[in-house]
Amino acid sequence: MRTLFKPLLIISASLILIAGGLFFINYDAGSTLSQAFAAAPEKAPTKVPTPPKPPEKVNPDGTPWSPAAQVAAMERAKEVPPFIKNVKDETAWERKQRLGDDAPTLKDQDHAYVVLNSPIVNKDQDMYEPVRFMHKKHAAVTGDCLKCHHASADEPGAAETAKCSACHQEAFNPEFPERPGLKAAYHRQCMTCHEEQEKGPLGCTDCHGKNVPDHSKLVKLPKNPSPTQVTTECLRCHEDQGEDMLKSAHWLWKGPSPYTVDGEKRVDSGKATNTINNFCIALPSNWPRCTSCHAGYGWKDETFDFTDKSRIDCLICHDTTDTYAKVPTDAGMPYPQLDLVKIAEHVGKPSRKTCGDCHFQGGGGDAVKHGDMNAILYYPTRSCDVHMGDLDFQCHDCHKTRNHKISGRSLSLPVAEGARSCEDCHTSQPHHGNDLLDHHLNRHGEHIACMTCHSPVYAKCKPTKTWWDWSEAGDKKRKVNKDKYGMPDYFWKKGEFLWDESVQPTYAWYNGTVERYLIGDEIDDDGVTEITRPVGGIKDSKSRIAPFKIMAGKQPVDKNNKTLLTPNLFGPKGYWKNVDWDQAFKVGAEAAGIEYSGEYDWEETKMYWSLNHEVTPKEMALSCVQCHESLTQERSCDRCHQDKRDVDFKALSYKGVDFKTMAARGRDTLDLVEKTDYINFKALGYKGDPIIYGGRFKQLPLGWHKDGKEEK
Amino acid sequence: MNISRRFFMKTSAVAVGGAVTAKAGTAKAESRNRAPADPFGCLVDLTQCVGCRKCEQACNEVNHLPEPKVAFDDTRVLDCKRRPDQNAFTVINRYYPGKKDEQNRLVPTYAKIQCMHCQDPACVSACIVGALTKQENGAVIYDKSKCIGCRYCMVACPFGIPAYEYDQPFTPEVRKCTYCFERISEEGGKPGCASVCPVEAITFGKRDTVLALAKGKIKKDPGRYINKVYGEEEVGGTSWMYISEHPFEKLGFLSLPKKPLPTLPETIQHTIFKFLWAPVTLFAALAGGMWVFNRKQMTGEDISEERGADNE
Ligand code: SF4
Ligand code: SF4
Ligand code: SF4
Repeated sequence: MRTLFKPLLIISASLILIAGGLFFINYDAGSTLSQAFAAAPEKAPTKVPTPPKPPEKVNPDGTPWSPAAQVAAMERAKEVPPFIKNVKDETAWERKQRLGDDAPTLKDQDHAYVVLNSPIVNKDQDMYEPVRFMHKKHAAVTGDCLKCHHASADEPGAAETAKCSACHQEAFNPEFPERPGLKAAYHRQCMTCHEEQEKGPLGCTDCHGKNVPDHSKLVKLPKNPSPTQVTTECLRCHEDQGEDMLKSAHWLWKGPSPYTVDGEKRVDSGKATNTINNFCIALPSNWPRCTSCHAGYGWKDETFDFTDKSRIDCLICHDTTDTYAKVPTDAGMPYPQLDLVKIAEHVGKPSRKTCGDCHFQGGGGDAVKHGDMNAILYYPTRSCDVHMGDLDFQCHDCHKTRNHKISGRSLSLPVAEGARSCEDCHTSQPHHGNDLLDHHLNRHGEHIACMTCHSPVYAKCKPTKTWWDWSEAGDKKRKVNKDKYGMPDYFWKKGEFLWDESVQPTYAWYNGTVERYLIGDEIDDDGVTEITRPVGGIKDSKSRIAPFKIMAGKQPVDKNNKTLLTPNLFGPKGYWKNVDWDQAFKVGAEAAGIEYSGEYDWEETKMYWSLNHEVTPKEMALSCVQCHESLTQERSCDRCHQDKRDVDFKALSYKGVDFKTMAARGRDTLDLVEKTDYINFKALGYKGDPIIYGGRFKQLPLGWHKDGKEEK
Repeated sequence: MNISRRFFMKTSAVAVGGAVTAKAGTAKAESRNRAPADPFGCLVDLTQCVGCRKCEQACNEVNHLPEPKVAFDDTRVLDCKRRPDQNAFTVINRYYPGKKDEQNRLVPTYAKIQCMHCQDPACVSACIVGALTKQENGAVIYDKSKCIGCRYCMVACPFGIPAYEYDQPFTPEVRKCTYCFERISEEGGKPGCASVCPVEAITFGKRDTVLALAKGKIKKDPGRYINKVYGEEEVGGTSWMYISEHPFEKLGFLSLPKKPLPTLPETIQHTIFKFLWAPVTLFAALAGGMWVFNRKQMTGEDISEERGADNE
């Protein structure tokens, strides 16, 4: 039977091969043709600019950049302690009895931060990235070291607790079949508790990201492929991800706006449709310039096809070579001289570099727009941002992503695909040292956003734009002066600017929702239109005092319709080419779908920008006395606590950010030294320092109803 | 190897004979010794399994199986009951045996299915050409060069494990879990599924060791486990064994006799002949032909060795 089959088999197999080959040839020809067509309008601009250099991995003093805490934790993770063979045979209760007061406590632990990445676990498979583990946090939350360190070595002089990997090593040790290996020990311990508590991460990728496989063997591309050809190749395996991307905010530039007042049910708000700002104002009619930050290719006008997956720019987010970059004026097309094959072969997870290339550079340059994000964060020092600088956090470590929907929200834009907060990791009781101060600080958490204390100044490491007056634009002859930071005060295309560095934020009550000016809305008649404004108040129990960057300026308004105008700045009819506002407004209004009456004026506007990055190390948070002036007069705790406490009150209440040292290191903080009214309580609705006049601690929730009415 | 060849003789002879019952007694008596002395075993602790499907993924990778239609991290596939097939040697099924948590939600239990690697495998008995063999280390493995595609094993297996590549027009094979034979034959080697399991729901070791572990766990925590090791005795014992919090019937496990399932002659008579007698006779004749053909290619030494074995 088999012998009969063989010749048949060979013949049919060769037939299939031939047919397959023909198909392939056909397919190839077809696809290159179609790609050639697709590529035609994507021709590089005539003046070929050179792509920017990747950021250097160095500290300000020139030494190589290295996130110290992360490096140390990664080193520690490699250690395999000597195997503990014998453990004491006792129940948890017996052990507690034996230890009594000698039971280990929070203070006995060596390391607050641990990376789980043992070679024991990675020996068989290495599918996942290392796990960041908040050891101290877990100790504080469980309040009992022995809950996890559930057994101790039965050896004279052995420590009461041992590393997990001292008892749990390789799986299936025939000598200790009942002892799970390290991987199972971790998973069982973590998952069982998280399940029981219904808290903490449970899914695989909630704790550890997947390792990206080496794509150099997987990617099959011809020489010098077009960008859409690269995407088509990505989609060969990642079709579903392509579909997901088509529904994402990074592709559509619009989406649900759950935190916008009156926009809760809308799904169409965003840059693409109706938002406006006081930087470069609005997207419509300025596409090719603005969409150089779009995760797509060729969004050059309103006809862009948002259903065409081959126009997704995968590389802008997934490049790991640090070389990929888009031409600033070419509707999202990359620099033509890039080696796309090499970049495609090295795709991986997004990084501070890939996210930062757009998000650090908003508003037309580095640090212009966001007060808390700039190119320093590619490789920041610890004091610039403790998560990124010390622990090497990438953006997606916080901004967890599912189906290409990236969590996180801002004030400046309405679209949100999930929220993130400090409490997601640090819990609502973040100060866990268990000493005197921590209790007080945790109570603050109900009324004050974490960043209020933990980011005393914004634009800490690089000046950001705080004022932009469009009404002054157009004077090509005006002399440009540099301010104390070396930043220009004028540019004829854009108008007048102010910059500021290490700025004290503006504080406001914020309950997470935003009032927002959308294109076509009428302006406020009191002279200043607030484009974004946080909602909240002292009587709103959901509100907390949060820090903001205020961006102010003057921008064009329709004199008769009382709406903000959306000028066409870029392109053949744009202001930057013709210096003709009237034409710019006409073209821009048409693109944005608003009326332009033909008469314009200049209106002062204001935007609140939330501050969530540049988190300082804890020793650089605001101290008690920096806000509570009343405490400067106290010597002990006995204003509130009647018993005498043996506490160095001064040391405790003054511990915090030292603006003098910051100034000595070159930061612009001299004006903040010895400030004791950091937060203007009166402006926030208090009668004065709440320690003297009382605040919400006593009134909420006892004296206050949820609906905001005062109890009689 | 010896076992298999001797067994091949038997099976072929019997197959040619078809319903010659006179020989049944001898075949049955001899096939009892197929259980190896110190095989490997796997203990699946159903109270640990979290249904993550990592074992399915690992199995797919180590056996170079085709990419699945639905990604392994998509647990929606658990909404339906599945069986292992030619492209997936192991699958996880989700059951709700009735337990509820504090919020009154049903608590799932996940059950991993794969070949049990029976101590005395019915599939091996049924295979008339010896394509399936029980190895010293416990694995029941398949030799595609011997297989004639009769699919008796599929009918004989009490767990319904062997799958046939109906989708392969020219070289279909019987496919099932290999117990990662090559991997576990190496020093310190582990099956792909067992080594990947994040919670060690699968413990791999010598069968005696994991059986003792199972009993130890039950004894230590009688509230957590019912007093039964599934596979300890079922069909004469299996290499894969399970412990559980819930009765096994509620988790899709069959109640099976302790004795090894009817060996070959009975298999043919009782199981297949009833409804397949015509093709069986045809295949038996073909198999006989194969045997004669193969025999011609054997060396003299082989034959005498076989005769010797036969005469024992
Ligand atoms: S489970 Fe079925 S296929 Fe596996 S060894 Fe047992 S009888 Fe054979
Ligand atoms: S033992 Fe090997 S072949 Fe069998 S289910 Fe596990 S991984 Fe798959
Ligand atoms: S890998 Fe382990 S926990 Fe996950 S489904 Fe398989 S047996 Fe269950």
